[in-house]
This record gives sequence, C-alpha cells and structure tokens, in this order.
Amino acid sequence: MRLKSLLAALALSSGIVASTQAQAATEIQWWHAHSGNLGEVVNKIAENYNASQADVVVVPTYKGGYEDTMTAGIAAFRAKEQPHIIQIFDAGAATIINAKGATVPVADLMTDFNIEDYIPGVRYFYADSDDKMIGLPFNSSTPLLYYNKDAFKEAGIDAPPKTWEEFEAMAPKLKEAGYIALAQSHSPWIFSENFHSRHNLQMATGNNGYDSTDVKLLYNNDHMKMHWGKVKSWLDAGYYGFYGRAWGDNQDAFVQKKVAMWLGSSGSFGGLTKSAEFEFGTTFLPYWESITKEPTGTFIGGAALFAMSGHEDDEYKAIADFFGYVTSSENQVFWHKETGYVPITQAAYDSAKKEGYYETTPDAEIGILQLSLPGGEWTKGYRLGYYVQIREVMYKHFDDIFSGSASVDEAFADMEKESNALLVRFNDTYK
Amino acid sequence: MKRVQFEHSAIPYLFVAPQIIIIFIFFLWPAAQAIYQSFLLEDAFGLSSQFVWFRNYKDTIISDSWLQAAGFTMIFSVLVTFLSLALALLLAVKANEVIRGASTYKTTLMWAYAIAPPVAGLMGNLMFNPLIGDLYGFLNAIGWDFDHKLDSFDAGFVVVLIAVWKQVSVNFIFFLSGLQGIPKSVNEASLMDCKSSFRRFWTITFPLLAPTTFFLMVINITYAFFETFGIIDTTTRGAPGGATTTLVYKVFQDGFRGADLGGSSAQSVVLMLMVLALTVVQFRFIERKVHY
Amino acid sequence: MKNLNWRTITTHTILIIGVIFMTLPVWVAFATSTHTAETIIRNGLQFWPGGELFKTYNEVLFVEGGVMKSVLGTTMMKNSLILGIGFAIGKVVISMMAAYAIVYFRFKLAVPLFWIIFMTLLLPLEVRIIPSYEVMAGLGLLDTHFGLIVPLIASATGTFFFRQFFRSVPDELLEAARLDGATAWGFFIDILVPLSKTMIAAILIIMFVVGWNQYLWPLIMTTKEENYTLVIGIKQIYQVLAEGGELPQYQKAFALTILATLPPVLVVLVFQNWFVKGLVESEK
Repeated sequence: MRLKSLLAALALSSGIVASTQAQAATEIQWWHAHSGNLGEVVNKIAENYNASQADVVVVPTYKGGYEDTMTAGIAAFRAKEQPHIIQIFDAGAATIINAKGATVPVADLMTDFNIEDYIPGVRYFYADSDDKMIGLPFNSSTPLLYYNKDAFKEAGIDAPPKTWEEFEAMAPKLKEAGYIALAQSHSPWIFSENFHSRHNLQMATGNNGYDSTDVKLLYNNDHMKMHWGKVKSWLDAGYYGFYGRAWGDNQDAFVQKKVAMWLGSSGSFGGLTKSAEFEFGTTFLPYWESITKEPTGTFIGGAALFAMSGHEDDEYKAIADFFGYVTSSENQVFWHKETGYVPITQAAYDSAKKEGYYETTPDAEIGILQLSLPGGEWTKGYRLGYYVQIREVMYKHFDDIFSGSASVDEAFADMEKESNALLVRFNDTYK
Repeated sequence: MKRVQFEHSAIPYLFVAPQIIIIFIFFLWPAAQAIYQSFLLEDAFGLSSQFVWFRNYKDTIISDSWLQAAGFTMIFSVLVTFLSLALALLLAVKANEVIRGASTYKTTLMWAYAIAPPVAGLMGNLMFNPLIGDLYGFLNAIGWDFDHKLDSFDAGFVVVLIAVWKQVSVNFIFFLSGLQGIPKSVNEASLMDCKSSFRRFWTITFPLLAPTTFFLMVINITYAFFETFGIIDTTTRGAPGGATTTLVYKVFQDGFRGADLGGSSAQSVVLMLMVLALTVVQFRFIERKVHY
Repeated sequence: MKNLNWRTITTHTILIIGVIFMTLPVWVAFATSTHTAETIIRNGLQFWPGGELFKTYNEVLFVEGGVMKSVLGTTMMKNSLILGIGFAIGKVVISMMAAYAIVYFRFKLAVPLFWIIFMTLLLPLEVRIIPSYEVMAGLGLLDTHFGLIVPLIASATGTFFFRQFFRSVPDELLEAARLDGATAWGFFIDILVPLSKTMIAAILIIMFVVGWNQYLWPLIMTTKEENYTLVIGIKQIYQVLAEGGELPQYQKAFALTILATLPPVLVVLVFQNWFVKGLVESEK
C-alpha cells in the first residue's frame, strides 16, 4: 500500500514541477536523433537561441536513432502528446508527408519563405509534388568518396577515380600495395538511391513516388544489376571489402587503413579529421561512363525538421522564429563547420566561401559542389512508403549477393517482388 | 482447494483487485488492441484507417521474411534449449559428485543468471569484434573463415553461443537442486543393482529428473523465443540478411522501426497463438511421459 | 582406489572448465575496462587489469557525458535501482494479496479470475509490446517510473509462487486462528505474512534481478535520456559504437557492462541460499 502512495506522490510531484517550468516562456519541444558530438552541437544551437531572446525556450530531447525518434513521434501524436518539432529522416519522409494533417508545412509556417533561397540539391526532397517544402532539411549530407592519399602514393596513383571504369583500373595496384581498394557504408543510400540520381535514372514510377502512392520500385534494371554484379566480382577479387551493414564498421576499415577508399557521407570528414592518422582527400561519387557521359548531381540524405500540427498559434510563431534562426547564415555556417553537414541556403554557402573556409578546408565544399551539379529529371530524391522496411529488404538481398547465396538476378527479382508488395500495402493505407 | 476457507465477504475482492486491475489495463486491454489493430490497415499517425479483415495476416505471414524468421526461431530455440540443458546437466551431475569445493563450484557456476541478456550480448559482441575481439581472431586463426557480419551461419553461431552461455546457470541451479533432492536411499539401492555409473545415470537418475527437465524445457523455450531479444539487439540485430531475426524481433522491427502497426499486430497475434499452442503441446503430450 | 582418483580428476576438470567458460568473459570485460581506449584498439582485449580503473569508472559514473554526452552513470544506476526495487516490492505485495484471496476464500468469481491470472503466464510482454506502448502513451505514462514498473507486474509469476506456498501451509493453522477469533485481514497480517518471510525474501531477490535486467520494456518506455536505466545505457553504447566516427570508447563500454552486472550479481551471491530456494520453490 505504501508503495502505491509513494508512486502516486512521485507522479504528482513531477507533474507539478513540469508545469511550473512551462509558465516562464513559450516552450518548444524539439525531438531529435543526434547523439554524441552531434547531440552536443544541437544542444548548443538551442542554448544559443534561448540566450538570444526571452520569449521562447527550445528544449531539445534525444529520442534515440532515426527510427526510434519517428516511432516516438508517431506514438505521441496518436496520444495527442506530440512535440512541436520533430526530426524525421529520409526513409520516413513518405510516412510523415503523406499523413495529411500531421504536420504544418514549413513553406506555410515561415514568413517570407522562398524555396529558391535553398541550394538545388536540398530543395525538393522534403517537398510535395507541387514543389512546396514541407519539412526543413536540417542535417543534410550526400555520398562522397574519401581516399587515403598516403595509400595512393604507395600504390603510385595520382588522383582518385572519377568513374568506376577508372576505379577498376587502379584497384589491382592498390591490392598490390596491400590495401583493399574500396568499402562503403550504406548500400541502399549510396549504391542504389544515389546511384540512380548520379546517372539520372528513374528509381520509381510516379515521378520517383512524388506524384502518388500507387507506385512501383524500378531497382530491378540492367544498370543496377550490372553495377552490383561488378561489386560482387570486386569483393571476390579482393578489391572491395564488406564489413557488415553497420555504418561504423565500414568507416573503421578506412580509418584502420584496411581499405584505401571509402564511400561515406559529406558529413564524415569532421570525424575523419580527428580519427584518421593519414592524409585523406574527398571527391565526388564515381559514375559509370558506360551508362552516362554527363553525370548529374546527387540528393540529400539525413533528416528534416517538421512542425507537428495540433499546437497553439503562439507556439507556431515561436517555431517559425526558431526555424528562421536555424536557417540564418550565421547558424548554418556554425552547424556546417561543427558537423560537416552542408549548409542548406545559398546565402550561408556564399558566406562560408567569403570567409575563406573552403580554402583552409576544401573537403567541406565537395558535398555542396556535388549537390549543386546540374540536376536531371531524376535527381530530386524519392518519396516511398514503408521505406524503412524496403531498405531492410534491400540489405537482406545485398547480403545474399555478397555471401553468394543468391545471384544478382535472383536477388533483384526477389527484392522487387517484396518491395512492391510493401508499396502496395502502403498505398492501400491511404484509400 | 483448501478445506478450510473464509466465508464470502468483500475481502477477497479487495485483495485480488490490484492484480486484476493491473492485468486488465496492462495486459488484456493491450492484447485486445493488438488483435483489433491486426485487422486494420492504418497509416502510422492514425489519421486514416480501414478494416481489412485478414489482409495483414496474409501480407506479413505469407512472406519470405516472416517464414525465414519463423524457421530461424525454431532452429534457434531447439539449439539453445538442447545445448544449455545438456551443458547444465553435465555440470550439475559433476558438481553433485564432488565433496571438496562443492559450494565454490556452485557459486561460480550460478551467478551468470543475474546478467541481463543485452549485457551478455554486448560483452559477446565485443569479444567477437573484428578489431579487438580475441574470439574473432582465435576462430580465424584455427582456420575457420569466421565473419559473423557476413555469414549467416557464423552470425547464428554467435547468437546461439551467447544465449546458451547465459542460460546454463539457471538450468544448472535447477538440475543441481533436482539431483540433491533424490533420496539417498535411491542412490544406494541403485549402486547395488548397477555397477556402471553411466547406466545408473540414464536408467535411474535421469528419469527421476524428468519433472525438472520438463519444467526447464518450458522455461528454456520461452527464453529462446523472447528473452533473447536483448541478445540479438546488441549483437547481430537480425543480420545478415534477416538470418538471425527471431519472430519477436521481427515484430519489434516492423512495429517500431517500420511504423507498420497493422502488420506487426498481426504478427503478435500469430506469435501469441504459437506460444499458446506450444504450451498446450508441452503440457499435454510431454508431461504425460513424465512420471512424478 | 585408482579408479576413484581418475574419476575425481575428470570431474574436477569438467567443473573447472565450466567455471572458466562462465566467468572468463566477465573477467576479461572487467580487466579491459581498466585500460585506455588506445591500448584496447592497439592490443585487443586485455586479460590483466591496467591502471585506468579509477579514471574509467569515474568518467562513466560521474562525468556528465559519460557515454551519451548528457546522462550520468549514477543517474542510470539510480533509475535501475528504482526499477528493480520498485518492481520487486510491488510484485510481492500485489501477488501475496491476490494469492491469499484465491487460496483462502470461496467466492463467486474465484475460478474465472484465477484463469485470467493464469493466462498472463502464457503471453510474455514481448508479444503485446506495441499496443502496451500505445496504451501507456495514451495514459500519459511514458517516461514515468510508475509507467515503467506497474505494467511489468501484470504477469502472474509472483501470484503463482505464493499460491503454491499458501497451499502448503497446514490447515490447522487457520483453524486455530479462527478459534482465536482472527479476522481474514488479521490472519493475513499476523500469521501468514510472518510465516512467508523466507519466501518473501526469495521472491524479492529474484524479482529485483528481473526488474533490474529489464530491457525491451524500458527501451521503448523511456525516451528521455535522464530516464535511462543502466541496461538501456548498454544499448546506447552499441549505437554509438555502430555509428563510428569517433574513437571507440571500448573501455567505457565494458565499464558500463560491469556496472550493469554488479548489483544483481552481488544480490544473488550474497543472498544465495534464499535465491536458490525461491527459484526452486517456484517450480512446484
């Protein structure tokens, strides 16, 4: 009996404490998925904002990884306890954007919103089919190739490969020098989604999924199969290393000098600068000359901030104000420098250029340059439902290709079947 | 039932109320919700939902990935149960035989019970870590091209090993108690009848342990089905290619990662039915063969 | 006599191998946690303690940031303790009461209520995890100690322990008490509870370990870092290690596993006899 009253008292008192805090200023709950160093920078941004004015207090809370944060947001929304701002990642974009009424579009929320302010590669991923931006890209990155300059010197190679054909030519030299030539950290993102964007290939029907939810995935195409057939042959020949599907394991292989090149994210260079004991360089994601002579840009990965619906007007004003703060050049450049994520506005990019940041740190610019490459019909991104599960399906079949338990054709055929079944399910949800 | 009882009054209701209330709110209501949601096709945010009868069941159960998870769960449970029971039995029999150091052995063999599965998982994970893990290096050194990130057998090996490691303690405790509960007279009598200790064990001791073994089998299978979630989540996370995904892990993945509530509810309901069926089977058929 | 010696040797050998198998991993975890991250990365797992014991554990426990950059190790220990103790006490109190009602009273709903309680044994939490989460979210109980502890009490294991135990209490005791004019409540408090002291102790210990070691439920129930338990902290380490980018702090990872293991293991070792008794009694 006593325990119960104790527990009740505990619940009651924490409720009282919480409510007294809220009365001070408009409190904005911001749920995000950044831990470690990134989490610290997030906290810093909120701290700086809170210190800069007295009307709004932004409270950032780490809710776990991307999926966990989305799940927490969903459950909270269903329980009518949703936060004001939530960070949703690329694979979850379809889920939150298709839920009409779950969010308030950024374009509607912010005053003087102009999509042209943003650099081309980030504009459309979180926008609807009318090009209206729904979510505010927050931590945007794009796949880049990192290479070990010392290893290259050892192998007698001058420059990193621009094309995969060039890669194939130099891989044996690296192997002779004792390195596995390549590893990468996210096969769906790098070797599938951005593969299509780089070669301007359509990856799903319905305008890559933007126009409707009644769509099919188009991964089971000859170009993809050719590429994956090649990757498998590289694995067998010792030119490619696969260290599991965890991002960190493949990055570690590069840091530990097991592999000479690594495909990671534009945001990785910050961590690499600290952990790599060798000189490294950055360059664009390679492409196949046999597929296209004019490669196009890639699109962003990472996540965006969404304003959830169901809040008061003054809270939305506060959110808009905070978003304005976050997108100001000063803060964009701060975030960019601290984390390696790209600045999303043209103004911020220009500002960083002006202060000479890219002269001292040229690696930081590569991602932006790649995102600013000429766009094609299929470079704005994708909008696909149940994409978390679809990525699982992809991982599964890529694992099978690597381990040799399925041929490339079999794997892609199965992948197509399972993914499209998921898409049909997703579509039926919105009937 | 007791022969002597109190008469009917309000008191029993009051006493049993807290347990029942908790069961209603936190067991029956969620279970009912799971069943209800398994028949709905809903978007994650609950803004649109339709009643779709058995479609969720069809979509999720009759799918390669579910069947793969079901297959793995079966094999995994059998392996973990059998191996941890066998090892524990061996250790218990031996511990029962020694006189010197008996209590030390007992203490050191039983304390692993207190470790949480995810903790055991993380320790195991680091021991198999390609960078610093001695086990990884050792296995590769003796010629086994070991890579649990790539090879489904190796990944399964890791998960089974950790699961067995953790479970041996519990089984050990019970087996030891069971052995110590066998009356001395039985031991003495059997010594006179049968010279071979091996025969003695299998014809007399083991049958006497049958109730314990049966009980442990139930516990072990439940453990393998459910509690190993913590181990899988801190080691392989179901990889590579879904090879180490158990059914319960898949429920979590689809519901918590994929925001597919209808699909994961359908899987939960099927899992519930499977556990019920397994329990019935165990109690009905196997218990019959156990002689008290 | 020679035969006996061989037997004893093999027996001891088997047992010693068993002990090494069971204890070596944890010893290595402890030893490795007392080295610096650089040492570990360069030389692998360590078998002998290094000099960093104080530094590592100090960082994990007291330095804000520890592994997750905003939660103290001590906070997580506190949460684990609250969970373990709260769960154990809650379980014992509620189960004893329910078992008492079922065993000692003849009342109308006795049989159906008994079956409802029995059902909970068949379906562990993992199977109803997502709707349970939604129910909790709907009740606003996420991230609360209450919400974390109470739903775990819904499983009837404790009620069954005490049911079996009460059934073994001789009827004469009750008869004598009634002759003395004891009420139902009085009998419970003055006679039954003291009689059950060892059982209570045993169940408290087992349930403390169970509560402390909870993983899946706290994983989804606690979304704010300050509510993490030690066991969840383990998961976060895994996430940080998997994301890479920073020098992996293996020594802290191991230190946290040791910290997460220490209290329940100590409880089990110190209260060994009660623990075994409680565990074995539950079988019947």
